[in-house]
Amino acid sequence: MSPVNGPVYLDYAATTPVDPGVAAKMAECLTADGVFGNPGSSSHEYGDRARRVVDAARAQVALAVGAEPAEVIFTSGATEANNLAIFGVANYYRDQGRHLVTARTEHKAVLDPCRELERRGWRVTYLVPDTGGLVGPAQLAQALERETVLVSLMHVNNEFGVIQNIEALAAVCARHGGVRLHVDAAQSVGKCVVDFAVSGADLMSLSAHKVYGPKGVGALLVSRSSGVQLEPLQFGGGQERNLRSGTLATHQIVGMAAAFALATTDAAGVEAERGRISALQNRLWRGLEALGGVLRNGEPSNCVPHLLNLSFEGVEGESLLAAVRPHLAVSTGSACGSASNEASYVLRALGRDERLAESSLRFSLGRGTTESDIERAVDAVSAAVRRLRAIGGP
Amino acid sequence: MNYSELTRRCFDNAGAAAGVLSGACVGRGTAGSRRHGTWVQFDIEVAPVPAAQSRIVAARFLAFACPHTIAVAAWLAERSVGADCAAALPESVQALARRFDVPVEKLGRLLIVEDAWVAAATAATAAVAAAGMRVTIS
Repeated sequence: MSPVNGPVYLDYAATTPVDPGVAAKMAECLTADGVFGNPGSSSHEYGDRARRVVDAARAQVALAVGAEPAEVIFTSGATEANNLAIFGVANYYRDQGRHLVTARTEHKAVLDPCRELERRGWRVTYLVPDTGGLVGPAQLAQALERETVLVSLMHVNNEFGVIQNIEALAAVCARHGGVRLHVDAAQSVGKCVVDFAVSGADLMSLSAHKVYGPKGVGALLVSRSSGVQLEPLQFGGGQERNLRSGTLATHQIVGMAAAFALATTDAAGVEAERGRISALQNRLWRGLEALGGVLRNGEPSNCVPHLLNLSFEGVEGESLLAAVRPHLAVSTGSACGSASNEASYVLRALGRDERLAESSLRFSLGRGTTESDIERAVDAVSAAVRRLRAIGGP
Repeated sequence: MNYSELTRRCFDNAGAAAGVLSGACVGRGTAGSRRHGTWVQFDIEVAPVPAAQSRIVAARFLAFACPHTIAVAAWLAERSVGADCAAALPESVQALARRFDVPVEKLGRLLIVEDAWVAAATAATAAVAAAGMRVTIS
């Protein structure tokens, strides 16, 4: 629950607070009385203990996402995992072709590496999803070429929450000579089922801090059965199957594993929480829909319940965010809310015009969200929109 | 984006100066467009009395704009009451930008405010003249 006098926190898709139980497990790996050793130090007991803890954490992460422990490559987060997947595949298979496929609605952590490859002479096809946010299998099939070495598509979109049908997209890649498929699943764990083995993906990026784990740790799943190969991006120690050199951050890895376990092991609890979040999201939508001139971004039937992205007609985006900011912590499609000076490219890709893309708010709900938070959010946004519409004239 | 205390206060309280005016001595000026992200309208009412210096008796604004622009428009509408009706902003765009800590990339929006203000003041002056009253544009 958000502090009574502070803004209501509805930005769980940006990050989540670390679960206290997770933090306690992390703390056990930091000090002299805990597991502080270097997991790579095989010459003494301190290192062995740390390695055993990391091995257990690796198994726990793998179990949570339907992977084998040996398929888990720990990284500093999903951004690094995305970079390792894209550049790693591109560098390894560059003699087979220099073409990639992705979508315009991907996270910058995928789009920016793709643009960098374009600067290096690669060609990239950017798929435009339908107005609901989905990339269709037929659309993907049409984009694949003989020279395509990688397809990179996200599982759950971070702005509007649509869930791509990864299995269907993977089947297209398989039919097309086994084009490798990378999936950015940074937003997925704890919000919907993630099963790496069943998905058919070759590579999958994960993040800890979106699911009540610590910032600064994530993982890239690298399929063993598909035989996908990567060139490493950093060197110096050969950790993580030579794919990600550097001393393993035991406490971060333990935190990620604990968070993933909390998010996935109690199936009934996970389903109950999903139902609770879904009811709160529906209440938020009904409350704001009553304003009129409110458009929902992303096809609701294909979206995770934790995200609600709305565009408000007749209000200027930066003013909307400024008006709600004292009351709410949310993300926006407005230029002021991001480092880049543009309306949300994701919402623009869905067909929203620039003004509507700017006047959008992303509400993301989480474990701490209460009915009271939702009521405060509805009141704050309704008051802001009514006031700005009055100031904005007819 | 962070805003100065003055910008925040004027933006939060902008509703008081928002609206429209009507009457024989009211001039209206608009500038910008919603489609391009910034639209501002001023209504300025001038005292219908023969005087060497006509005075603004009321001003209102409407704006589809960012917080800086709304704050400046609201401040102008409130502060102008009792001032001479002039075909110029009471302060230059540069001075307003400093007063409200407006980022340099937003200076163009203050020019829209200026265009709307000047158009309204000019229209108000013309309205009074058309009503047969003498005013002096300073």
